[in-house]
Amino acid sequence: MSFLNSYIYYIGAFGLILIGLYIMLVKHNLIKVIVGLGILDTGVNLFLISVGYITKGTAPIFSKPGIDSQQMVDPVPQALVLTAIVIGVAVLALALSLAIRLYQHYRTLDLREIKEQRW
Amino acid sequence: MRKIVSILLLIIVAFGIIRALVEIPFGTLKTEVGRYYIEKGVEETGAVNIVTSVVVNYRAFDTLGEIVVLFIAAIGLGAVLRTGREKKTRDVQPASLILFTGCRFLFPFILILGIYIFIHGHLTPGGGFQGGAIIASGFLLIYLGCKERRISRVASHIAESLGGLVFLGIGLLGLVFGSYFLFNFLPMGTANTLFSAGVIPIIYIAIGFKVGSELAGILDNLIEES
Amino acid sequence: MVNPVLLIAVPLGFAFVIPLFALFWKPAIKYLPPLALAFNLVASLLLLTEVCENPIIVSIGGWQPPFCINLVAGPLGVLFSVVIALVGLLVSIYAIEYIKGDDTENYHTLSLLLLTGATGVVLTGDIFNLFVFFEILCISSYALVAYLRDKAGVESAVKYLIQGAVGSSLLLIGIGLLYGLFGTLNMADIAAKIDSVSPISLFVPMVLLITGLGVEAAIFPLNAWLPDAHSSAPSSISAILSGIAIEVGLYAVVRVVFTIFGASSILLFLAFLGILTLLIGELCAFSQNNIKRMLAYSSIGQIGLILFALSIATSGGVTGGLFQLLSHTLAKALLFLAAGYIIYRTGSLQITAFEGMGKKMPLTCLAFTIGAFSLVGLPPFIGFPSKFLIVRAALATKETVFAVLIGLALLGTIIEGAYFFRVIQVLFFQGEEGKPQGQNPAFNERRPDKTSGEAPAVALIPIFVFVVLIVVFGIYPKLVTDVLNSAATELLHRYDYIRSVLG
Repeated sequence: MSFLNSYIYYIGAFGLILIGLYIMLVKHNLIKVIVGLGILDTGVNLFLISVGYITKGTAPIFSKPGIDSQQMVDPVPQALVLTAIVIGVAVLALALSLAIRLYQHYRTLDLREIKEQRW
Repeated sequence: MRKIVSILLLIIVAFGIIRALVEIPFGTLKTEVGRYYIEKGVEETGAVNIVTSVVVNYRAFDTLGEIVVLFIAAIGLGAVLRTGREKKTRDVQPASLILFTGCRFLFPFILILGIYIFIHGHLTPGGGFQGGAIIASGFLLIYLGCKERRISRVASHIAESLGGLVFLGIGLLGLVFGSYFLFNFLPMGTANTLFSAGVIPIIYIAIGFKVGSELAGILDNLIEES
Repeated sequence: MVNPVLLIAVPLGFAFVIPLFALFWKPAIKYLPPLALAFNLVASLLLLTEVCENPIIVSIGGWQPPFCINLVAGPLGVLFSVVIALVGLLVSIYAIEYIKGDDTENYHTLSLLLLTGATGVVLTGDIFNLFVFFEILCISSYALVAYLRDKAGVESAVKYLIQGAVGSSLLLIGIGLLYGLFGTLNMADIAAKIDSVSPISLFVPMVLLITGLGVEAAIFPLNAWLPDAHSSAPSSISAILSGIAIEVGLYAVVRVVFTIFGASSILLFLAFLGILTLLIGELCAFSQNNIKRMLAYSSIGQIGLILFALSIATSGGVTGGLFQLLSHTLAKALLFLAAGYIIYRTGSLQITAFEGMGKKMPLTCLAFTIGAFSLVGLPPFIGFPSKFLIVRAALATKETVFAVLIGLALLGTIIEGAYFFRVIQVLFFQGEEGKPQGQNPAFNERRPDKTSGEAPAVALIPIFVFVVLIVVFGIYPKLVTDVLNSAATELLHRYDYIRSVLG
């Protein structure tokens, strides 16, 4: 039980990554694939943050003078995740606009039908 | 067939990541770089929020790249969705009086919350991106509740470009005054007050306005298209 | 002494200013990218003369590495920056006339930001910064592939986006694993600490990084997006994508493998992958009738050859690989630019519709022919010394494996010659008997102009600058081999890199 307790964040992040990859590989509705991309991004961000965690640590803000700095978590992964979230949002926005245009041309969002570019 | 191949691929990826994660125990300290930022952060940058000092001062180049990515997404979205026709006048049912007045009433408070969050980015958790997202959600409320109002395209383009140019300008001024790009050249002040930490509040204000107007512009493009 | 930061900051400033110009002074927009790229070209050339001996390390923000992000302007990085600025400048001069419409400010902003992202990737010394600039490069290319908003363009862009986004997420997982293992994000710092963990635990991050960067570098199983994307984009964008984007992706793969991991065990696998990519690219190109798809498959083949040459990992091999990269960039950009106007004049993408264009557009078709000859590797052009260097380096290793692989590479060259000669024969040696009525759906936005003959002068100037460079470097390869040798030395000697960054 304590194994689960200490590794729950890794398992959660890793589970989200696998679910996201499965959706993107298997589903053929474009909106479902884009949702899968969002889940994959969330999983990767959760994994990055959990790399920096220290057990029983607090947020790295010196809000009152005299806070013990030995128990603070690592600030670098949080900065990385800020950037990664924004990049993920940008890709999702572009993907949705392309999906709108694709629907206007093909009248369907099924990826098995959208195969005009063949060999 | 495709499902079987994908599941096999995922099992291989799963084994690989598990094998790699065994080396990285959860909850222990791994880095000297993080320790250095926590110990020396306040005296070197003046910001009490260490994450802000990492984002805007130690790794400011990544933040510059990130706002460029958001800029590209906004322009790309506008380019892909542009129809060239007039804005269609949709025949929408006008909003009821309560909804309309409520949204108009709430909007300035949401803006104030967003501005508070990004101005105090170096003192409390928060910062430019978080404040900008809150400002954009205020605009979303206006689009949903008062259906005929629109953000002015000219104002949002000017806000985006000026925000980016202010950030870049501060970087080049750092090059001029301190011989390093993005050098923190304004005085530090005393920690834990509003006017401390040199250029960090100025950069966050520029980022907050830029991100807010960009996300509101993206929402505007998507709503107009439907 | 030019600060290398200006190579990234100045084009970025111009790109932020373009939307302001769009509100007040529209006709001036198409001249801003050439100005920014001309500055980049001059600055990179000035830097190149200084960095061949010692790389210039610039830290951003004034802190000491490894506690900050630093730019490493070594011979390899500045060489790439020169190539990016040169090709970008010539293609943006071509695009002054080629891109028409009332929303051209989007095109110019996005293409300038693509080139800025590429310059950032080659100059940076920090692995998360590499990821951020790599994303700038990829996202602007997703938006530019869909620029014409037609059926083929949007479909190709969606497929490219999905594959690219999965690749980026895998890259980010790899970066997270590296941070967890080593605790730092600086490339030189990771390289210095790489021996402190067992090689088995490095295997997964390395595979994830190569896969994530390999989607953009178009290595074999990851390049399904390339033929669609490069053939559906406007021709100036195809030139930038084939000439710059995939080469910069390959630079990122090579930088990770050689400098950070220093891995010698994976190089043989990369050599096999390179030859496999080469053969598949050339064979698929042989059966194409759509000219831009044919050129896109040929790009896949050439990237395979460059990857094979770089993974020989001797000084001769890496120099040959970098020389081949330079020659492929110049020739492929020339081919796409020339093909752009041939397609515009005939109104069709099918090769069989190009009959007799050699007489109507003699200069453009002559330039196309020179580009094709250079790519195949015929003597007075730049393709010949580069392929000769690769063959000599492969045979000098005295291992039968490399001799077999280089034999397969020469087979690929023969196939390449066959399909290019077919195009040249159609252009020059067939009259205009019955032109097939191939109306390609990609042109519903730009009606083809069949009346006038030659391409306009603004487009011919960059095309002929490419021709002159191809001929000059082919006759005097000594002009570039010194720079290429110092770039190869930097790539192979990782301890010098670590020492110059960390002191």
